[in-house]
Amino acid sequence: MENILSTSLKSYENCVKCGKCLPVCPSYNFNFNEFFSPRGRVRLIASEIKDELPLKISKFENSMSTCLLCGRCTDICPNGVKTVSLIIEEKFKLNKLKTDKFSIDNFALKVLKRNSKFLFSAGLRFSNILKFNNLNIPKPSGKPFILHNDLIFSVKNNITENNLEDYYENISIKKKSYNINEEKINENTNINNQIASTKSQIREEKEFNFSCNNINNLINVGYFSGCVFNNIYPEISRSTVSALNKNNISVFIPSSQSCCGLPHISSGDINSFKKLAINNALSFKNKKLDYIITSCASCSFSINKLYPQYFSTEEKNEAKEKDRLEVLNFSKKLIDIWNFFNILKKKGIKIKQGDLDKKLDVVFHIPCHLKNSADFLPFSKNEQLIGEAGSIIDNINGLNLKPLKHNYCCGNGGMFNIRHYSMSKEITKKKFSEIKEAIKEAIKETTEETIKETAEETAAQIILTSCSGCILSLKDQKNILENDKKIPVKHLIEIYDKSIK
Amino acid sequence: MGKNIVYTELKNLLGKDRVLSDKEELLCYSYDAAIKESMPDFVVFPLNAIEISAIVKICKKHNIPITGRGAGSGFSGGSVPIKGGTVVSFAKMNNVLELDEENMFVTVEPGIINGDLKNYLDEKGYFYPPDPASYEFCTIGGNVAECAGGPKAVKYGVTKNYVYALEVVTGDGEIIHTGSKTIKDVAGYNLTQLLVGSEGTLGLFSKITLKFLSKPADSNLLIVSFDDVNNGFTAALTLLKLNNRPSMLEFMDNSSINAVKNYFKSSLLDIKGDFLFIIEADGTLEEVNSSINLYKDILNGFSPIFLFVAGNDAERSEIINARKAISPSLRTFGDLKINNDIAVPVNRIIEILTTIKNISDKYKVPIINFGHFGDGNIHVNIMLNKSDSAMVSRGEEAKYEIIKKAIEFGGTISGEHGIGIIKKEFMKLKFDDYYINLMRNIKKSFDPDNILNPGKIFD
Repeated sequence: MENILSTSLKSYENCVKCGKCLPVCPSYNFNFNEFFSPRGRVRLIASEIKDELPLKISKFENSMSTCLLCGRCTDICPNGVKTVSLIIEEKFKLNKLKTDKFSIDNFALKVLKRNSKFLFSAGLRFSNILKFNNLNIPKPSGKPFILHNDLIFSVKNNITENNLEDYYENISIKKKSYNINEEKINENTNINNQIASTKSQIREEKEFNFSCNNINNLINVGYFSGCVFNNIYPEISRSTVSALNKNNISVFIPSSQSCCGLPHISSGDINSFKKLAINNALSFKNKKLDYIITSCASCSFSINKLYPQYFSTEEKNEAKEKDRLEVLNFSKKLIDIWNFFNILKKKGIKIKQGDLDKKLDVVFHIPCHLKNSADFLPFSKNEQLIGEAGSIIDNINGLNLKPLKHNYCCGNGGMFNIRHYSMSKEITKKKFSEIKEAIKEAIKETTEETIKETAEETAAQIILTSCSGCILSLKDQKNILENDKKIPVKHLIEIYDKSIK
Repeated sequence: MGKNIVYTELKNLLGKDRVLSDKEELLCYSYDAAIKESMPDFVVFPLNAIEISAIVKICKKHNIPITGRGAGSGFSGGSVPIKGGTVVSFAKMNNVLELDEENMFVTVEPGIINGDLKNYLDEKGYFYPPDPASYEFCTIGGNVAECAGGPKAVKYGVTKNYVYALEVVTGDGEIIHTGSKTIKDVAGYNLTQLLVGSEGTLGLFSKITLKFLSKPADSNLLIVSFDDVNNGFTAALTLLKLNNRPSMLEFMDNSSINAVKNYFKSSLLDIKGDFLFIIEADGTLEEVNSSINLYKDILNGFSPIFLFVAGNDAERSEIINARKAISPSLRTFGDLKINNDIAVPVNRIIEILTTIKNISDKYKVPIINFGHFGDGNIHVNIMLNKSDSAMVSRGEEAKYEIIKKAIEFGGTISGEHGIGIIKKEFMKLKFDDYYINLMRNIKKSFDPDNILNPGKIFD
């Protein structure tokens, strides 16, 4: 592992202390103390690595764990300092010294690692009763999307019905969900054999309908739900799959997929992160999928950016090397839903145009981890405002995007919001200040057009985004919008799915 | 022992959260962009002049140095507490206090980021011109303390041209108010302008009143290059004589063109030529078009080998990004940069650049030049390898010689970065003892105990 990180590790030497990273850092903006800034952290890390002055571990940990890993500092750095990687590396070291094994965040990490959908919802219910540290623990909105069985959502010819259930066809593969641990991962070949036996079944499905409009190109996709969109907000997974189906794309969803591992790596638990990565890669192995789609920006950050980084060193052990290559392969295939739609558009495949019953004023919160495709060039106004996701907004008639001035961070930051809840909520508050400003603008504009009394109702407002962490954070509006009505938070794919037939 | 008493007094004044004293936190206030480090004993976050005054009085009583700090983005070490003591961070004082639209003055707290003030005024149709390269993150307080410049200085001047009134806490802890919101003000010595560029040695600003302008409706850019350096210079000097002179006249010599070429892929830079100018015109759309056409005609008279006028926003940002890419691209020449910001009268630029070329050859160190042609402020970057100590000392010698030459040509040792600790040793090249003593005595009147940023500018 040492040599994987050597380039990023050395990058602290590139820091010229210019200070460009300060204003973009959500944790620095919390109280303007450089101890919570990227530049300050890089200085502390340099001191830790060079062993310059004895650092108090708890104090050092405090600076590192208040980083939200949003990556804004790394993106803006003119000298290529890999602050996020440097901090993650320090977290590995700190994790080894960790003493508070019984904290709520540790419990949450364990549950995620076990990959048991049952444990996940039980854990949520349990924590809702106990009310840890005044945390606002989300309540699941339904039963998990994937439970025990692999799912295939295939497209039937000539879909006309409005009812989703009618054209969802679940093919169950007789296989129980399994927990991940080392032996089980080694048994994975067995599971794959099982899946292989049903492969012909899947093939049939594909031949039946894995085609997109009249184009001869067959695009086969898998869906990676991520834990939040599977267990807490399953409707988002349903909407994603349904929107793909409506665009004539069939979707395969293996039930053995697990958490992407981001909460683990952001807590310094590299071992669990790697186990989860291998499990996910093997879950999608040998499925002849062109793309694996996720609708969560954090999952795509973890899988696209972090998997290659932490699986870059060749393994001597043959089996391990095979797994590693599988992880890299999986990482290459995984794609964010907006990037995917953009690829379809580039291939000349039309994306369905949707209509809303009622005009809707929305803001779109750009998740820190949502990245445009490398070759994406914004054309429309919506694309210029929010990037690739803007092109789906162009596909929804009646959706009116209001610009956010600063695109502040939502304050979630993986496990950050659990460990530093009050700081996290201060950051969320700042986010809502710009949201409220945008809404005020929207109401003002509407007022100019219509009568004042109806203005507030005419301008129905929704916050849209496309990341599980952001949704969790933005939905937690307690003590933020005291006197105001709550503002609904939705995934953009939900609105798009509803708008198309 | 003494430290504990000071800590208790500061804590009683500001509360625990606004006084830092753990070494891990102090470490994060031991540097600025000049890379020389020194640990403070405390960091405090005041919210107004009364608190600043009380902080100064505590430090005065215990004879502890005070160093003001904005964003810590300066290049001369102005905010580094070289003698320890208390760092006063203005980061929490970042509000606009008053927008006087009738008189066109804005009063701000010193911790506001230059770019945030620009945006605030821009939304209302106004314009605050000083634009140091770091405007997105440096603070107005720091800009005033160092008298920051920027590319727009050629048409709009530098920070000092916009500061009209100040609220300042002196080294005695007294709060004074200088200047007024009037263009004309000759009442007594002009302490406002004395304080601008005083690098935190005379007082700590608590309120800053700045003039602002109406926003120019439009602007456009052109890029032009010459292989005959003399032609290029004469052309640029001609543009400066125009009544509608450019709002930006930046130059890159062939060393910086090549540096950027390797770092930033742009067809605009894929050109021959030893000398390149980036020129901006602003005003109404008609004014911009007529200025650009006029510039084009004049430049064409000096046989440029390449001339390109931006036609859209994408092309404009490509030009700006190429200019912005210079600094980071320098890394390929060495991992240690000695950054000088000498300024010479514009008609001597050609001579100083030739001299620098000779010095570069003589000391065998790469020197990359770019900067603000319009105001004679050249960024001379001597690129070295940290590990090569012989090279580093050759670089230091080269730097000394360049600064001496700049003074010889009627220029100065620093155009916009300030003296701080980095250029202190060159003060004696520019000024004699009598002059420096005069400055020392001025400091004594403001700060009799020498607690405000001691060891900066001069000893």
